[in-house]
Amino acid sequence: MVNGTETELPNPLIIGKPDMTDSASVLETFKFLENAAAEFSDEDEDEEDNGRDKTVIDAATIVRRRVMPEPNEDRDTVEALKEFDFLGSDDSDGGESRSAGDGTEWEKEDQCPIPESWNVDQGVITKLKEQYKKERKGKKGVKRPNRSKLQDMLANLRDVDELPSLQPSVVSSSRPTSSRLSEQEINRTDEVEALTFPPSSGKSFIMGPDEALENELGLGELAGLTVANEADSLTYDIANNKDALRKTWNPKFTLRSHFDGIRGLAFHPTEPVLITASEDHTLKMWNLQKTAPAKKSASLDVEPIYTFRAHRGPVLCVVMSSNGEQCYSGGTDGIIQSWNTPNPNVDPYDSYDPSVLRGAFEGHTDSVWGLVYSTAHQRLLSASADGSIRVWNALEAAPALTIFNDNQELGIPSSLDLVSSDPAHMVASFTSGHTSIFNMETHQKVLTLESCLDTGVNSSCQINRVISHPTLPISITAHEDRHIKFYDNNTGKLIHSMVAHLDAVTSLAVDPNGLYLMSGSHDCSIRLWNLESKTCIQEFTAHRKKFDESIHDVAFHPSKCYIASAGADALAKVFV
Amino acid sequence: MVMAEGTAVLRRNRPGTKAQDFYNWPDESFEEMDSTLAVQQYIQQNIRTDCSNIDRILEPPEGQDEGVWKYEHLRQFCLELNGLAVKLQCPAIDYTRHTLDGAACLLNSNKYFPSRFVQLFIFHYLVNRTFFFGSFEKQGNYFNTGIILLNETFLCHRFTKFVMKYNLMSKDNLIVPLLDEEVQNSSARESEA
Repeated sequence: MVNGTETELPNPLIIGKPDMTDSASVLETFKFLENAAAEFSDEDEDEEDNGRDKTVIDAATIVRRRVMPEPNEDRDTVEALKEFDFLGSDDSDGGESRSAGDGTEWEKEDQCPIPESWNVDQGVITKLKEQYKKERKGKKGVKRPNRSKLQDMLANLRDVDELPSLQPSVVSSSRPTSSRLSEQEINRTDEVEALTFPPSSGKSFIMGPDEALENELGLGELAGLTVANEADSLTYDIANNKDALRKTWNPKFTLRSHFDGIRGLAFHPTEPVLITASEDHTLKMWNLQKTAPAKKSASLDVEPIYTFRAHRGPVLCVVMSSNGEQCYSGGTDGIIQSWNTPNPNVDPYDSYDPSVLRGAFEGHTDSVWGLVYSTAHQRLLSASADGSIRVWNALEAAPALTIFNDNQELGIPSSLDLVSSDPAHMVASFTSGHTSIFNMETHQKVLTLESCLDTGVNSSCQINRVISHPTLPISITAHEDRHIKFYDNNTGKLIHSMVAHLDAVTSLAVDPNGLYLMSGSHDCSIRLWNLESKTCIQEFTAHRKKFDESIHDVAFHPSKCYIASAGADALAKVFV
Repeated sequence: MVMAEGTAVLRRNRPGTKAQDFYNWPDESFEEMDSTLAVQQYIQQNIRTDCSNIDRILEPPEGQDEGVWKYEHLRQFCLELNGLAVKLQCPAIDYTRHTLDGAACLLNSNKYFPSRFVQLFIFHYLVNRTFFFGSFEKQGNYFNTGIILLNETFLCHRFTKFVMKYNLMSKDNLIVPLLDEEVQNSSARESEA
């Protein structure tokens, strides 16, 4: 597990707070607050310890859990999982097949008491618990029940005008995430919390958006008061309690039907449907709930329910509209095809329905590598190897409305995303190593993020992917030189940089609540990161190499409990 | 584009790569390919180098398992037929699409290809269905388009030679009309040998 974190700046949220200059006095304040928090939190101590102890075992004893593989699963996947299961898992039954997608099963597991599921000596655990409790004495963390009190104190101590600065903007995310959680899931989350944890510290992976937001903001305010490493002791409790309850992903489906590497993935916003874009010139749609029993095993196969054919060459990227009714794909033919998403229950051998193909967006003169759908304005954004970034009206196949970087001033764009905190902004990365934020309304470049630039000797500064955090004003970039970097969208400053993989990082995705980051790399592995602590919480080897490429894309389902990866080995994998 | 890192060449199509540079890197010998998808890489590399050099494309590297070799060639045929299906506008479009979809499922199925070995019936299935479109509508424009496309990529020639080379079906069953000459040549060569 590589946690090669080179923290260049102490904490993301300190940036841009000019009143943080006198670190000594802030430290004093912080210590005082910490003690106060300890006092207030006494009544919750026991419950909190439960959560904490679990985490400590996680880290300290490095439990080797036996993963019982799905009989039909690839051997390499299984081996890889075994190799990394010490990273910590909450559930015990390994890769046993589960019912797809409603998120029921794993949440139930989270409620289960630990002992029978952990293959460890109870004596060791008890010892560790006691040791840990000792260590933690007098170091009580911060929890939500005390937050209002803390806030009051903060208000007294300082003028807090700028404290909530993060709050209003983040709510206006243009991503359709929050409303998509089904009632069922939210209810279940409540259940978990009521049973096991104090309201604020228990976090399952899927949770009410408000809670997630509050959690983040709660931390944000407190983190803003700290400097340097002191931040760690504060974030510790929240982060680790969450990790204790976090979901451990297991392989569920291997999607085999493409003849060549898969370059792009897009989940349907609400349905258990995935679309894959491949170098074999096609896209395929998969209904993850429409499974066929595989021969000689208990596992399930998924076959594609629709094959999209129109590109005259490899397909590189795919994106879905926010209601899932349309999807768009870009390829080396320079064309963006737009499609009406077929009904997920379509018969795969129905006669060809010409109405699926809506039409082509023409204008790019070279490969289209990046596509983003803007819900707010029903726009489609594209990045092409011809150097330009184009903004299209997603509703009709007409010439582009706006063209950025037509003169290749900034080089060739490699990836782009919407800035979630400001729907008028987009962020684009370039093969040269630049990352810039543009205003789509004024057609101006707003900001260039601090970055290493290509010396021209090699491609080491190449940025392969840029994404925007769904709730915070942070851009995250994936680099050919194995780094993942975090930038402040307001100042353009580098917040954090880490060597995240053993080889080029190719793809990034953040879960809908903004708590976890997933990265894919040509080192054949997928890693999941806690965004607060920037630590790796799970890793799995997912795909084999073709030439020097392995994983091209990763994705979180916007509302259901699926993640997916796309490989150069022509496979897509789905984890639950 | 190729990234030079000392002497090492990383063969990658990074985001932002231009279409003309896609897979445009120095050839690699089969022995040097250490990835598990080496056979596919090798076949694609030879096709990109010169798609008209069918003999080279069909010549397996020394010691290559024949089953895997044939299987990977079949996958490659289907991949390239995906490209052709796009360009065809004809009454047989459903038929072609379904055949390709079916072939995709079959060739990717663990059930039928537990170890990526080829079975004969696949060839009959593919040849008689996919290449069937070559004789579907001799009178229409579609037929001409089909011929042009096939000649463009030498796909049909390659397929015929492939089938003959591995003796996968009798030439009487091969109903691709254009290839009479190929078949005769091929048989002639075979009888010489």
